[in-house]
Amino acid sequence: MKRILILLTVTLALMLVVAACAVPPAPKEAAPEASEAPAASQEPITLSWAFWGSPEEAKTHQKVADAFMAGHPNIKIETMVAPWSDYFTKIQTLWAGGDSSLIPDVLFLWPTPRYAAEGVLENLDPWIKKSGYDLSDYWPALLESAMYKGSVYGLPRDIGLEVLYYNKDIFDAAGLSYPDDTWTWDELLAAAEKLSIPGERYALGMEGGKYQLWVGQNHGSILDDMRNPSKCTLDDPAAMEGVKFFADMMDKGYAMRDADLSQAGGDAAVFQSGQVAMIIQNASRVSAFNAANMNYDVAVVPIPKGGQRSASAGGAAWVMSSGSDAKEAAWTFLSWLQDTDGGQKIYTASGEIFPALQSTARSDAFLKADQPPANRQAFLTEGENAKVGRFGYFPEWGELNGSIIGPAMQRIWAGEVSPEELLPALCEQVDAFLAENGYPK
Amino acid sequence: MTSQLSTKRAWWRWRPDQQWEGYLFILPSFIGFFVFVILAVIFSLGISFSDWGLTGFKAWAGVENYQALFRDPVFWRALHNTGFYLITIVPSQLVLGLAMALALNQSLRGVGFYRLIYFMPVVTTIVAGAIVFRLLFSTHGPVNGLIEGVAGMFGASVQMPNWLGSTRHSKWAVVFLTLWKNTGFTMVIYLAALQGVAPELYDAAHTDGANAWQRFRHVTLPMVSPTTFFLFIFQAIGAFQLFTEPFVMTQGGPANSSLSVVQYIYLAAFRDIRMDKAAAMAWFLFLFIFIFTLIQNRMQRHWVYYETSD
Repeated sequence: MKRILILLTVTLALMLVVAACAVPPAPKEAAPEASEAPAASQEPITLSWAFWGSPEEAKTHQKVADAFMAGHPNIKIETMVAPWSDYFTKIQTLWAGGDSSLIPDVLFLWPTPRYAAEGVLENLDPWIKKSGYDLSDYWPALLESAMYKGSVYGLPRDIGLEVLYYNKDIFDAAGLSYPDDTWTWDELLAAAEKLSIPGERYALGMEGGKYQLWVGQNHGSILDDMRNPSKCTLDDPAAMEGVKFFADMMDKGYAMRDADLSQAGGDAAVFQSGQVAMIIQNASRVSAFNAANMNYDVAVVPIPKGGQRSASAGGAAWVMSSGSDAKEAAWTFLSWLQDTDGGQKIYTASGEIFPALQSTARSDAFLKADQPPANRQAFLTEGENAKVGRFGYFPEWGELNGSIIGPAMQRIWAGEVSPEELLPALCEQVDAFLAENGYPK
Repeated sequence: MTSQLSTKRAWWRWRPDQQWEGYLFILPSFIGFFVFVILAVIFSLGISFSDWGLTGFKAWAGVENYQALFRDPVFWRALHNTGFYLITIVPSQLVLGLAMALALNQSLRGVGFYRLIYFMPVVTTIVAGAIVFRLLFSTHGPVNGLIEGVAGMFGASVQMPNWLGSTRHSKWAVVFLTLWKNTGFTMVIYLAALQGVAPELYDAAHTDGANAWQRFRHVTLPMVSPTTFFLFIFQAIGAFQLFTEPFVMTQGGPANSSLSVVQYIYLAAFRDIRMDKAAAMAWFLFLFIFIFTLIQNRMQRHWVYYETSD
């Protein structure tokens, strides 16, 4: 009898454990109207806020949270930070777990359309409409990186557009005039020839993954439509010429090969050590170069004759979790983050980003930063001409680019195969992938 | 023989003579294993047959996830790479490990020190090892310097391999890292096996006039063959499941040339948020390893010698 009793207890305990693990909690469905958080509530609302970042970036985030709480005493912000490499695994696990008390209310996210397609993000359209939030202040085409099926699901914090950084000392020693907005590919090549010293110095350091800049400048594109593609257009003459321009620079020893660049520690490292005279990169490098007291400036990226400026309009965005139980407060915080008088200014003044809002970029927070680079106008010029093109805004883009397009292009950057040889074959693979996933939809 | 009859009873039948309280003692560990391993494994089988996104079940998909795998060129590439790792890593580890064990089985001065040195990589963090190997195998790194030096001695000039940046060499860089990391383990297991070989056998072989090679070929090899079999299976499974080495050293690149299957499973799950595809790949890999091991198990009677088996 005693034995049976023990056995029963044990079985029961086992079943409980299994049951607790096997039943997924129901996802919370709440329209903006349904969640009524009285504004005059005495009880402070706690929002959890997740982002990735280095320890220095985390400090800026904390500064932003403190500034918000100072102006909103009834909302308390709890931060959750993880390094880039762990961040996505962590929040995906939280979402998969479905426990809304653990899922952050406001998150930093990339790429937004991928997550919007999974239904874990709040559609911000009703909130934007209700509060009259101004979307026209964003750089052209930038919001599209945070849209899914025509609705806004995130507010981009910054725009990762590239400019040309050049080392003034090296240019002076070579007796060359500094790059400006009249430079075309021809001037760039002519300067590159003088700036490169075989075995010692390259003219240019640029990550292979940024190749689309040249393609877009030459009126080419990766896919015929980056939102709802039907075919790969990398083998069109315009795109092919753009890829060839970059590949030729590497073959001639003007530009550092992608693998060598990453083995040497990345573009910031080789630019600081003088191994390259120019890099093409976004604003994130400014604070490091200033800290190193470098003698440098920036310019717009040279374009081909008859070409167009083609900075990529894309950036990680703030999003709201659809399972949040404090959506009213979350929207208050979200719209404050993306306000020139709110979070945008603090991030911009930290020197880590180029802001998503034009009014912030044209404010003293960016223009009068009192530090190099002198030619900050270059960022504005690139921003005004920003375009869709670097990233696809459909859910499968990450897989397509990460498994097929990106790896294939690496063979060109390694000098193993020519663009003429590779791109038609690559396009066949891309088309097959698109067909497999049912595009165009 | 009557005692044997009683053991013929099905294993799950209640046996009053058995100390059933024993099960209570293993229960805490079993619950953990059941919930976090068995349940998760069964669960993933379900995922592999459904359309499964970030938040869970969407619809049943039948074998569609498996069919899609065979149309996926990247999966084939990963499979191909994993096959390459298998046929390079496993034999070289066995040969190198046995050679090292034979050398360190002598009564040399300071042999304990050498054993320690050779075993050290096994307990070293793989990430630290990979960072050092990235430096060693960089374009102007020590490995290429060595090749250049040796080639220079013969007056030849060779094209320096770009170990991490070319599709032809990246797999080899991963292979070398794995060998460095794991051969010490093989050596220690072989060392234990060698010390279990009865000295009388060598004495007898010596008396019969066997030379050193014959003693190795006809005494040592058969006597350690059960160990060889164990290591072979163990390392083959390890090679099938290779993840950390390519992940930290080459990130699977360039051009997916060093991407392993397990790494692709990871990417499918956490980069592409395709839990269903990842689960299907995991089960395919399981079946592959299972059949491979089954075949090896059947083959072992042709070459594995168990002293007690006759």
